[in-house]
Amino acid sequence: MGLFEKFEGTATLYEALKKTSAGRDPFGVSMDEMKGPTRAMVDGKEIVLAGTNNYLGLTYDHEAVEAAKDAVEASGTGTTGSRFANGTYAGHRQLETDLAEFLGFKHCMVFSTGYQANLGAISALVQPPDDVLLIDADCHACIYDGCQLSGAETIRFRHNDPDSLDKRLSRLGSSVKGKLVCFEGMYSMFGDVAPVKELIAVAHKHGAYVLLDEAHSFGVFGDGGRGVCERDGVLDEVDFYTGTFSKSLASIGGFVASNHPELEYLRFSSRPYMFTASPSPANVAAASAALARLKRDDSMRHTLWENAKRIHGAFHQLGYDLAAEASPVIAVKLADREEAFKAWNFLMENGVYVNLAIPPGTPNATSILRLSVSAAHTPDDLDIVVGAYTALAEMLNGSAPAQNLQQ
Amino acid sequence: MSGIQEDDDLVFRKICSLIEPMNEKGVKLTRDTDLIADLEVDSVAVLDMVMDIEDFYDISIPVNTISETKTIGELVDAIHEIKKEQA
Repeated sequence: MGLFEKFEGTATLYEALKKTSAGRDPFGVSMDEMKGPTRAMVDGKEIVLAGTNNYLGLTYDHEAVEAAKDAVEASGTGTTGSRFANGTYAGHRQLETDLAEFLGFKHCMVFSTGYQANLGAISALVQPPDDVLLIDADCHACIYDGCQLSGAETIRFRHNDPDSLDKRLSRLGSSVKGKLVCFEGMYSMFGDVAPVKELIAVAHKHGAYVLLDEAHSFGVFGDGGRGVCERDGVLDEVDFYTGTFSKSLASIGGFVASNHPELEYLRFSSRPYMFTASPSPANVAAASAALARLKRDDSMRHTLWENAKRIHGAFHQLGYDLAAEASPVIAVKLADREEAFKAWNFLMENGVYVNLAIPPGTPNATSILRLSVSAAHTPDDLDIVVGAYTALAEMLNGSAPAQNLQQ
Repeated sequence: MSGIQEDDDLVFRKICSLIEPMNEKGVKLTRDTDLIADLEVDSVAVLDMVMDIEDFYDISIPVNTISETKTIGELVDAIHEIKKEQA
């Protein structure tokens, strides 16, 4: 009994919402067979994948696939141990060196997932009662969880608002020793971009350190694909740069890079680093190969942005309420959860998979359809996406008051 | 009425005015009203409402404090405590 009562409210809501999507479960889709980076079979039907975070489209990159195969042959299927014990292979060290060199930092640590990179960095760097965390209100769950794991006092500042951060840093008492400010380059739900230069300036003015999560912007922003902080010319001002292998690098794993030599202390103080198995040799080899491709080939990033602008422009033309300027994440705001479930199901029936996101997982209690563009999307894929959204706009305009479609 | 009591009422009324837009069921707000259970608002909406309180009183209310606070009365008490500390 007692353990399960707390789920009842959400479970009832979930069941009711699934009725509006004809019983289809937006949070339980199974890709029964992958047909490439942008296609999969779902319930016997081929679907265009437009909610994947596969920004550079490298999941089937020939060299990455071959590197992963070779790594399995040479080093086995798993490391069966943590980085702290038997789980550090030459590949892990090499990837750390390559990432540090690529980003221009002196130090880098590879974690098993991007989630654990933030969890591990934040929880180890910041300790109660002397240290304080200041985080953007819209930060990802792993940043919130890192704060909670640290146990330190955590203060939210208004999303993308340097003045709000400034006020909160000014209010801190003199007993506070360490201050860490956390925010992201591009936010995953709306695809909006942080004023990183201004936020870093405010943080440093108050003697605070900066942890910038470029999970969704690594490979996507900046002339070299080093993220929003490269685009804005402040890469070298970031104290702790965190990222993931599970988006542009088409593998799984995460990292923290820094010029502070003390980063190395995290290897014996960060529990999410020490008490989990290291990424498998195949994952590491695939991430390394994808990084090498990213370094020498700008063309994926250019295609990605062309695709993003095409979709963003088309949706704007269709009158959708879009959450942000053109970026590889394009979120359409809908009236409420019910309409979002219905719209999501409509797109599935028209051959397009996107992410459904509803409160409390979204900012400002907004229900959205979140589309992520890939460099691997073909003109054909994009035609299908635009066609499905055109039909959806007609459906929404026809069946309900069209407030949601008015600009 | 003492100064503390007066201030207490003011803080209570300020919080109620910020909560009212989320009070879709028209629940009568008292010091014992549970923000999440009685008003059926989600935890993120509560955090966002608290930011308005922070800016109004020019104080910072840590997320840790908010997660230990269930009722409006507890939130009022927490604000008094923080106002004293950060004064």
